[in-house]
Amino acid sequence: MTASPITTASRAPTNRDENWKYANLRALSRVSFSATPDDHANDSITGELPARTTECRLVIVDGQYSAALSDALPRGAELKLDTQPAKIKDPSVDRHFLNLNRRGRRQTLRLQVLQHQSLQVEILHVSTGIGQPAIEIQIDSGAELTLVERHLALGTTASATNLAIDIQLAEHAKLHLARWQHFENPASYIETLNLSLGASSECDLTQITSADRRDVAVSSRSTVFVSHAGEGAQLHWNSAVIADGQQQHDAYVRIEHQAKRVQTHQTFRGIASGRSKIGFNGHMLVGASAHGTHSGQSLKTLLAGSEAEANVRPQLEIYTNEVTATHGATVGKLDADMLFYLLSRGIDPSTAESLLKWAFISDVLTHLPSAALRHHIEASLVGQLPGAIAARESSSQETSR
Amino acid sequence: MLEINSLQTRIGDKEILRGLNLTVKAGEVHAIMGPNGAGKSSLAYTLAGRPGYDVTGGSVRFEGADLLALAPEERAQAGLFLGFQYPVEIPGVNNVYLLKAALNAARKHRGLAEVDAFEFLTLVREKMRLMQMDESFLSRGVNEGFSGGEKKRNEILQMLVLEPKLALLDETDSGLDIDALKVVANGVNSLRSADRSVVLVTHYQRLLDYIKPDVVHVLARGRIIKSGGPELALELEARGYDWLLADAA
Repeated sequence: MTASPITTASRAPTNRDENWKYANLRALSRVSFSATPDDHANDSITGELPARTTECRLVIVDGQYSAALSDALPRGAELKLDTQPAKIKDPSVDRHFLNLNRRGRRQTLRLQVLQHQSLQVEILHVSTGIGQPAIEIQIDSGAELTLVERHLALGTTASATNLAIDIQLAEHAKLHLARWQHFENPASYIETLNLSLGASSECDLTQITSADRRDVAVSSRSTVFVSHAGEGAQLHWNSAVIADGQQQHDAYVRIEHQAKRVQTHQTFRGIASGRSKIGFNGHMLVGASAHGTHSGQSLKTLLAGSEAEANVRPQLEIYTNEVTATHGATVGKLDADMLFYLLSRGIDPSTAESLLKWAFISDVLTHLPSAALRHHIEASLVGQLPGAIAARESSSQETSR
Repeated sequence: MLEINSLQTRIGDKEILRGLNLTVKAGEVHAIMGPNGAGKSSLAYTLAGRPGYDVTGGSVRFEGADLLALAPEERAQAGLFLGFQYPVEIPGVNNVYLLKAALNAARKHRGLAEVDAFEFLTLVREKMRLMQMDESFLSRGVNEGFSGGEKKRNEILQMLVLEPKLALLDETDSGLDIDALKVVANGVNSLRSADRSVVLVTHYQRLLDYIKPDVVHVLARGRIIKSGGPELALELEARGYDWLLADAA
């Protein structure tokens, strides 16, 4: 791979920057996103792709769309590839990695769901090295998209991804977005998600971040900007992070309410075991014109390791009186009463702990838009929550008899 | 079955049990009554191995083995069951899994294979009918959103599925209306056999109208201060505890 230098007007963030205090910037600094990767053949990869969770799947290998590995889109949607670098609009430090992507991306994948059409699609990111995928999605008026976005790392070397994803919902559009960031191999992962919600649009977003095993070295950072741009828009956010070993996951989610009668319901659950670190900064802004807005926030983290760290931070900025806002953040340990109850039924301590961790995130999992995907995710968590998966499988078998 | 000698426990700096003696033979049902704060629930928790209940003296033999040397889950696997006064809610862990995992843990301890799925469900359904519980309870989170009475029924359901050698039921009758009390009592009575024992911790004589005890004890100030037959419970109902406390002082 050759490197051509990239410059952006923004400076790189440091842990002294307010919204980057808990990001693992050291891991990210070892990766050079400041170089445009060579175009390379990406239609043949070694290794099996996981089973589809929707009929139509689009595959992106190291940031570049693979037509050979992807399915044709059904009617009602259009796909375009743009190979021009994107312009830098905002040089702020929070968008530094986005700007690196805008300058360094090989292509932009543009997906448009046409008016009043309905589409289910999976986007599979395959990583074999360094990639800067860029995706722009437009959901037209009255259209509905169910999107499953997931990742697969192939090979044994560490992968590095700097993803930029931009989603716009027109009026009365609907988006069911399931994002599954599961790391089988060492990875440095960073992403910037922009989400713009038009009038009376609805978005439910469920995001699960986890790794195969506690010894997989992973650090991730999500920077999310949501804009309630149209009156009556709704966002239901549910995310869960399961970290163990020395894994480190951080997120900054800024949700701006700038229109009347918009709603946000945000739930975050994190489990930090071993020596892992979890950060979640939920920043809600309610603008002066956002009369009748409702915003609710529940951020909870479970510390399940004596050396684990968690920082959850709700931030509310409200510039209007006509608003209802609730927020709560807790960092706690496994409930001793629940644990003793399970032990008193003969269940061994490690299974009991796994079960309680499972219980802690199960609310988030129930929001996943497809049962097939939920099954995949649950099966993948077996490495970090042994016993708990058996619990679910056994339960669903028993009760369906 | 159970032999407690001079048991002493503390919670932090507070002395709770102060030399308690109790022997329960196989097949017997014992009722433990006593004023508030006497140490009744502490006795149940100590026997089940709840962290924080520190044993500072005495011994407990369960079927001849040193019960206090076992971890809480090992006590359960060995056949000891605690019916909680306030069963905890565990959303996200469903009832049917808990029942199956608990049963398999006990079977593993006895060297048996995991229970067959069909047999398990047949067993659970039979016991649920006895407890007049709807099958929808199986797929719900453990005690999640259950009323007080439903939680107590669920405790007895677990006991019936696990068939413990010794059941310690801590105020299982509290919060039950008279119909629910009869259902719970039926469940307990169905478990009675020559090789099983039950220790009922209760405040009220009315439970003993439905579950006839062999022995009634009064626990006060961390000790058993009086033992007798079922007639002792009736006497306590009529006279309260003051006369006994005065005698014991």
